[in-house]
Amino acid sequence: MANLFVDGKYGDRGIVLGNEAIARGALEAGIGYASMYPGTPASEIIIALDKNKKNIKNLYTEFSLNEHISLHGAIGASWTGIRSLCAMKNVGLNVASEPAHFLAYTGVKAGLVLAIGSDPGAPSSSNEQDDRWYSLHTYMPIIEPSNIQEAKDFTKKAFDISEQFSFGIILMAPSRLCHNAGILNFGDCSDRDLISGNFKRDPENYLNLFNLAVKNHKKYLERNELLKKYVYNSELNMIIDAQISSTKSSRIGFISSGIIYSHLIEALNFINADNYKILKLGITFPLSEELINKFLDNLDEVVIVEEAEGFLEFQIKKIAFEIGYHGKIHGKNVFKAYGELTIDDVINGVAGFLGKAAPEYFTAAVNKSEILSDKTPQRMGTFCVGCPHRGTIYSILKASGYSNTDSKDRDVIIAGDIGCYTLGLLPPYNAMDWLTCMNSGLSIGQAISIADKSKKIIALVGDSTFYHSGIPVLMNAIQNNSNILYIILDNSWTAMTGHQKTPSTKTDIDGTPIPNSVNLKDLLKSLGVSYIKTVDPNSVKRFSVIIKEALTEKGLKVIIAKRECILQEERRKKIKNIKSKTENSPEMFYELQKERCVKCNECFVELACPAIQSAKENGINNGKEYYFIDPVSCVKCGVCYEVCPNSAIRKVEFNLHPVINSALNPESQLSFLGNK
Amino acid sequence: MKKFNIAITGLGGQGIITAGTILKNAVLDSVMEDVSGSERRGGAQREGYVEAFVKYIFYDSIAELQNPRKNMHSPMIASGDADVLISLEPLETLRAASYVNKNSVIIFNTNPHIPISVRMGKNKYPELDDILESLYGITDNVFYYDFNKLSLENFGSIISCNVISLGVLFAKTNIPVSKNVIENILLKGSKAKDNLRAFNIGLNL
Ligand code: SF4
Ligand code: SF4
Repeated sequence: MANLFVDGKYGDRGIVLGNEAIARGALEAGIGYASMYPGTPASEIIIALDKNKKNIKNLYTEFSLNEHISLHGAIGASWTGIRSLCAMKNVGLNVASEPAHFLAYTGVKAGLVLAIGSDPGAPSSSNEQDDRWYSLHTYMPIIEPSNIQEAKDFTKKAFDISEQFSFGIILMAPSRLCHNAGILNFGDCSDRDLISGNFKRDPENYLNLFNLAVKNHKKYLERNELLKKYVYNSELNMIIDAQISSTKSSRIGFISSGIIYSHLIEALNFINADNYKILKLGITFPLSEELINKFLDNLDEVVIVEEAEGFLEFQIKKIAFEIGYHGKIHGKNVFKAYGELTIDDVINGVAGFLGKAAPEYFTAAVNKSEILSDKTPQRMGTFCVGCPHRGTIYSILKASGYSNTDSKDRDVIIAGDIGCYTLGLLPPYNAMDWLTCMNSGLSIGQAISIADKSKKIIALVGDSTFYHSGIPVLMNAIQNNSNILYIILDNSWTAMTGHQKTPSTKTDIDGTPIPNSVNLKDLLKSLGVSYIKTVDPNSVKRFSVIIKEALTEKGLKVIIAKRECILQEERRKKIKNIKSKTENSPEMFYELQKERCVKCNECFVELACPAIQSAKENGINNGKEYYFIDPVSCVKCGVCYEVCPNSAIRKVEFNLHPVINSALNPESQLSFLGNK
Repeated sequence: MKKFNIAITGLGGQGIITAGTILKNAVLDSVMEDVSGSERRGGAQREGYVEAFVKYIFYDSIAELQNPRKNMHSPMIASGDADVLISLEPLETLRAASYVNKNSVIIFNTNPHIPISVRMGKNKYPELDDILESLYGITDNVFYYDFNKLSLENFGSIISCNVISLGVLFAKTNIPVSKNVIENILLKGSKAKDNLRAFNIGLNL
């Protein structure tokens, strides 16, 4: 099948992910530079381009070390006349906020779009921040698509606007859009042969100091005023007039943008209220006073439907004040300012405001779900089967003498950080004492080591997070001889966002060596760390002894917990030997012998490998419970074998895959299906 | 405008999102058909719940298709608004039961996967009979099978649960999409032979 993402042209249709639609929009606009520090939910934007770049002429892609570098890179490319796309997750803009604040001063040459994946409800983030507020001081215009088609079309358009007004443009996409898949009608791509950069000096714009900065400040405020005129006429905004005038409904209006606008339209249809005046904002910064004025005209009340703290409400109320609007403006008095605003929230809010009833089946389902949720134990994510982080967290808990019972105050403080290992903060491990932003672990930890000398501190960091912004923190800790054990969980990849390489990744998944990779140990040595140990995190007994020892030493200690991410290791194996599976050579498996197992829970709860499962002897709900290893999901890391104090787990050899064995022979010891 | 909403839920690694994408591809041939629907992965990597929404939209007229009050669709399914719930894990069926109403069809996998809180002894995993009672309290149209067992017996692994469940979807509901369309999509995808067989196993349940 042809690769639509690369070869699609006008007239083609496909099912495309929101993130891919953004990337495709950029491709149609003729970008030559794309960069990001990976972050959910935005990662697939650059992944889509990166994995196809062999087939796309004149495209450079980069997974940069952090967002600050990545946005700077996009700026540099734009200055040479090449259209550039930078992507990041919401909190990434905190890291990139410095270049973002200079972008209006210097302006762009070729179009620059910064696509931001926001994460309301924070399923994959450590906060819910709404990056739109930054634009009140960065002056970066904001564009918000509402569906897949707009994600592409608006991105493409954003490049033109960027060039016309010399601003970097923000394209906001919440996870509900990034990870929505729907129909995309493709457009044509511009001619990629023409892409080549040429940097020309432009001291008036690029140099900012003293009065030069002031002059550029004035200039961008003027450009912003011009942009507002454009916004007034832009087809990215849309007013839907009420069909019948002079009724009560014609005096009420709704304003919304992005995905929430799609909720609004559906909610109005849901409650049969489809005759209200609506303003759809595709550009949410800057707003055009004229447009808002035109919309508010002859409305008594307006409801702003948006997520988070009310960025539109803030701006619109200011405009309403200036134009002397006398009607009522509602927003956060109707809709909550925290968590994801779901379709249910919007239906309830709009129905409540209009005094209309939601359909009976909706209210019945809402009520039912409250009753059911009591009966439904929560389910939280955990480490993959065979994940080396499980070994690290388990070893730390064992070394510091904690079981994974809920946290009381402890003598050993464990600082978390951002990455897969963050999951160690969840039950059953409860192994972390704080988690905020990238590299907050060691940063906060080193101060605590000074302020509270009665405690021992372990700070965790993943390899990618360490390279992102951890090196300055480590240097700070070295210089001040902080009394901390710093564990670098080096799994060779930025695993959580889909396995992008880190600076020390040595071989690509297909076996190609990666040039210029950093030797972590040498780096640490050169920074002046004298206590460095490298351990295999799956050798949990050895690892916990080493942690125990390190905790008795004074000063800064670094342990590198080194083992490749199991998903990558498995993929590598698959690529190498797709054959051998059918051959009749015996294969080794781990087996949990239920007659030896005393259910001490060391493997089942403390280690909690998901491949170790429980079942009842006589079917799903009957008889005595026993534990077993599910041979389908076990990746044979051997950690459970090491931790079982009762030698109940053994290695066995089978000629046939035991799954097939057990499926064929339900009496088999390894039968784990639990069926009657 | 006709609509048909399908919620698919389960755990990471069960192919929930793939199942959703297969269904979405069914409406590419006509401009009068549209589809929306997002996916959500809870709690990062493994063991977390995953849900995918597929919302089919069939427009009555070009005018409706071009009407901005009609042609925009939320990527989420509202409470009670799913015509079908497919769930590949019993507990997740219960969690997602808020999507269905008394006319909906529920198709679910009886093979349980115990969450950590139950492992730790903090919660009890509900008995299958309790789950069924709750579901029958909402709708009479409940179909349940051990998809893991079916997949394992036929394919030696549990990866076909999702496609088998799609077969059941076409056997037990009035989904307004022809099953040939889905078979053609499977035919073009990877592991076409296995997937077609899995789909047919579901169709005949
Ligand atoms: S060997 Fe044990 S710990 Fe490792 S994956 Fe298999 S069951 Fe899990
Ligand atoms: S550690 Fe050994 S004895 Fe304890 S529950 Fe696991 S298998 Fe059974």
